[in-house]
Amino acid sequence: MNHYPILAIMAYFLCAFLIVVFGKNRAVRNILGFIGTAAPLCLLIMLAEPVLFNGAIISYWMGNRAPVGGYAIGIALEVDALGLFFGLLIATAVFVAMIYSFSYMSHDDNEPQYYTLFLMLCGGVMGLVLSGDLFNMFIMVEILTFAAVALTAFRNKVFGALEAAFKYLVVGCIGSTCILAGTIMLYAQAHTLNFAQLAAFLPGNLNTATIIAYALLFIGFCTKAFLVPFHPLAADAHGAAPAPVSVLISGVLTKSGLYGIIRLTYILFRTMGLGTVQFWLVFLGSVSMFLCVTMALAQHDFKRLLAFHSISQIGYVLTAAGLATALGVSSGLYHAMNHTLFKGLLFLCAGAVLHETGTTDLGKLGGLSKKMPVTTVLFLIGAFSISGIPPFNGFASKWLIYQATYQKAVESGNIGFLLVTVVCLVTSTLTLASFVKVTQSVFFGQLPKEYENVKEVPFGMRLGMGILAFLCIVTGLFPGLVQRFLTGPASNAVFHANSYIDAMMGFGYAEKFGLADTLPVSFESVGVWSPISWLCLLLIMLFAITIVALTSKRDRISAADKKAQAANAVSGPSFLDGAPAANKYELFFGGEESTYSQVGGDDLFWGFKHNWRHYFSFMHDLHSGIVNDYSLWAVVALALAMLYAMIIL
Amino acid sequence: MFKKLITESMGKSPWLFHINAGSCNGCDIELVAVLTPRYDAERLGFKLSGSPRQADIVVVTGPVTKQSLPRVLRAISQVPEPRVIVTMGSCPQSGNVFRGSYSIAGPLSKYVDVDVDIAGCAPKPEAIIDGLALAMKILSDKRAAMYKARKVKPAAAEPAASAEAVSEEPVSDVSADPSPDTAVNPEGGAD
Amino acid sequence: MTVFLDALRYLAYILIFPGFIFCFLTGMLLCGIDRKLVARMQKRVGPPILQPFYDFFKLFGKETIVPAQANRTVFLLAPLVGLAAQVVLQLFIPVFSFSAFSGVADIIVVLYLLLIPALSVILGAASSGSPYAGVGLSREMVTILAVELPLVLVLLAVAKTVGNAMGTGLCFSLSRIVEYQVANGSLITKLSMLPAVAAMLLIIPGETGSHPFDAAEAETEICEGMLAEYSGAPLAVYKLSHSVKLLTMTSLFTALFLGGACRWVEKLLLGIYPAMAAGIAIVVEIIILFLICAVLVAVCVSLIHAVTARLRIEQLFKYYWTVVTGLAAVSVVLAWYGL
Repeated sequence: MNHYPILAIMAYFLCAFLIVVFGKNRAVRNILGFIGTAAPLCLLIMLAEPVLFNGAIISYWMGNRAPVGGYAIGIALEVDALGLFFGLLIATAVFVAMIYSFSYMSHDDNEPQYYTLFLMLCGGVMGLVLSGDLFNMFIMVEILTFAAVALTAFRNKVFGALEAAFKYLVVGCIGSTCILAGTIMLYAQAHTLNFAQLAAFLPGNLNTATIIAYALLFIGFCTKAFLVPFHPLAADAHGAAPAPVSVLISGVLTKSGLYGIIRLTYILFRTMGLGTVQFWLVFLGSVSMFLCVTMALAQHDFKRLLAFHSISQIGYVLTAAGLATALGVSSGLYHAMNHTLFKGLLFLCAGAVLHETGTTDLGKLGGLSKKMPVTTVLFLIGAFSISGIPPFNGFASKWLIYQATYQKAVESGNIGFLLVTVVCLVTSTLTLASFVKVTQSVFFGQLPKEYENVKEVPFGMRLGMGILAFLCIVTGLFPGLVQRFLTGPASNAVFHANSYIDAMMGFGYAEKFGLADTLPVSFESVGVWSPISWLCLLLIMLFAITIVALTSKRDRISAADKKAQAANAVSGPSFLDGAPAANKYELFFGGEESTYSQVGGDDLFWGFKHNWRHYFSFMHDLHSGIVNDYSLWAVVALALAMLYAMIIL
Repeated sequence: MFKKLITESMGKSPWLFHINAGSCNGCDIELVAVLTPRYDAERLGFKLSGSPRQADIVVVTGPVTKQSLPRVLRAISQVPEPRVIVTMGSCPQSGNVFRGSYSIAGPLSKYVDVDVDIAGCAPKPEAIIDGLALAMKILSDKRAAMYKARKVKPAAAEPAASAEAVSEEPVSDVSADPSPDTAVNPEGGAD
Repeated sequence: MTVFLDALRYLAYILIFPGFIFCFLTGMLLCGIDRKLVARMQKRVGPPILQPFYDFFKLFGKETIVPAQANRTVFLLAPLVGLAAQVVLQLFIPVFSFSAFSGVADIIVVLYLLLIPALSVILGAASSGSPYAGVGLSREMVTILAVELPLVLVLLAVAKTVGNAMGTGLCFSLSRIVEYQVANGSLITKLSMLPAVAAMLLIIPGETGSHPFDAAEAETEICEGMLAEYSGAPLAVYKLSHSVKLLTMTSLFTALFLGGACRWVEKLLLGIYPAMAAGIAIVVEIIILFLICAVLVAVCVSLIHAVTARLRIEQLFKYYWTVVTGLAAVSVVLAWYGL
């Protein structure tokens, strides 16, 4: 069992390597890809029982180089509930994206390279969350950044792909450099890179250097999570990358950044003054949440819109996780999980649309629901989930986040957190609005002529989307179970740094430093919500109403049959011979002949945008798309973070 | 139970859809005036609906110009069964002063079975209400007839025969009863 | 046996009171009262109070036309889901001391459950493919956006006020909010709640889409908007769920602010006829609830309808995010400092 984590990481890298060698043949390539993603998933699921349910912490020293004299020299893997939670998320998303890729990428050139990079990226992220060592974390960050850059530019004939990759490369490298610099500073202070040892050493030895190291690491992981001000990168990258890669970038890569932030803040720097860090995290989270959802409302490209929503949801996670309460962290992790599921699903749906129609421009699409019914249903599940419509999973976690923020407001007596609750609630509605826009302009509305021959996507792609949709529903219907078995243990691990240290460095190590665990971990939720009961009630009600509707159907004139629609017939008995033909199944156009007139997505909510026009034009000017600007933002953010750290922390 | 309720309700809740087929706007104003406090047709359950899909009674005003004919028929066809077609004013019944004009395709009864004619130029509000009340009754009868037809022969439902409203006001200069023989052939006029 | 009886009891809740039949009758009556009142305010005779029932049954007798362009399944299913969600929502709102399903949802959930009927109309409209429906759904969504913010603030203010008084800091449970009011008097008597009451009174017409906030269904400009392609039975179902929404919003107002209005009933009945007090009390309370709802409809739906002209959608948005939100925010701040 101790070997499972390293095997999980190795499986990705090994298969990546094997695909380079044997990947010419399609079948071999697919089998290798499948094994490479399925094996880690199985391994991690087998770990779930001891780690998540029983609270064990698995530590693994490479080459059996255990610490000597209380100093950790060797390379270590350490899997606690938090790491495994993220690992499971990642393995699931990656597995689904791989299944989807088999059909989706089959028309592309250079498939072997795609799968190699894909698995490298997965291995990098998996290594990052399971690592017990700061420097290994940096190495994994490098691997995943470069794999992600290459994958962003994979379809390099697509307009903007190379540009997006270049932007990502530049700003991503700034982030990686920050992580490296932070790591170096910590090493200089603590003479160790091992997480457990750092977690034991740092709380008693905080000084300006370590605090600045925190700021550097924080900004580094922010670039990985694409938090504001790094959000334009995500939009460009997602717009250009193939759909499964978008799943990786949004569902997996951003999670690695979040994982880093949570690990740093709650385990390594837990005595830093959580109250002040809290402000920082919650502020950044709320800004990301709100700014990106308004940016998303202004988008007219399906994938770019999803990209901005991705960051908006990450903002939710950071806000909740930054509250430093058990309920907050638990709800944040819950939302992180849900985000992986529903955003993966939505990106795959966008990919399905792109696969069949060749465009993701909201202004050109429309009426696809008749041609792609399965995709439509799956998309709606994803859209309802992300907009927080009960009983899907997005609601379950957002509902906890509202509670957590409001409870925090009441407990701390700080009315600012109340504002956060309001921002969360409004953002959720804005999310709904932008998904109504997508629904209307892609799947409903009128079908343009050129898409008459569009078909449903192949089974492999539907399967991938189906798995995620199923998980979205399940995790929404059983919030109690999810909290008990997944997010509960993970948030528990966040607040139990001592057992993390002891598992790695030997029992009693943490006590030597006189460390106490940070916070109590029990919480009770103030609200009530039982999705199953609600669903039962809804179904009974639906059943009753349907019965009533059907009993009276005999009395009604049945809805017309399809034959009558096909024959462009004069309608009804009251028309006389010689009257011009009129089809009653045409849309009503004020009496005019029905023509193609799709209400496009571009400006659907002008009533809203008009009131916010100054804000939108400001945002439009701000997002210049020039990489120099974005690098400047990164530098400014870094400077502000360091200043904040030096002055206030 | 439902059958009786539905048939009865049919006569109590008529929703109007108003089509202007090239009218001079006189009748249109009168129709709206009927809904105002003085005459208040809403007490009978009338409501102007914005879409033909929701309407029961189609009120056509104007002499049915060639331009408007296909549009009028399209809108009428989009009204779900059972429906009642009412012509309002003399124009859609006979052409009124526009009769013989090259651009007139009317009268409307050449193309659809008109159920109620409300004569006058423009009709008096009392006449309009009277005609609409008659239309309500026809609507209810049509619904009942559809049930009957379904019982006998489930395939097709035949509506009740049309009826003529008696206007209180004597018709001014044009016959209220449109006869196809005397009407100008619209095709000939155009060519 | 007890399980069976319980099941029967809950089925009665779902189907009769406060479920389907109750919603159907009261919702329709409220709608009829509204139409009558508007007519009377305009010096008209107005339709009979039972007019919505006639409309409903008439629509059931009409042909249902599904446009060729529409997505048939969504087009026909959306109204049913919307109505079901609307009625289920009504089950969660306590009628004074009586609540059928209190352990299922709290005020935040209610806030989101309110979205589902609106969303089902939007999806049904989108699936019809009509451009009128497209414009209508855009406006409806903006209306939802506009109303959501003040509604959130009102609910948070109530949660805070009740939480303060109960000593728990905040209270999201709707049935506990009502219980508190039954014990300590209605919230409307609190100074800090008065702006929230005013805000809520303005939210009700926005949420139910009545004049002047009915830009989404403007029948004169965009042909009934979202319902442009609906006919026959699905339209009837939409009309029904719209009237149930009137009931839901007004009884939500009652639960939030007037929960203690019936405190005297049970006491009085206990004095007069203790044996059946609880049984009679619930009947009296239902009647009082209906009267309160009718008064609320008269004040914030009919009166506003009769005296205003329709707002444009961006005016509507601005109005809600400035005036109404301001009122609600004042209430939140007052509640925060425990006034």
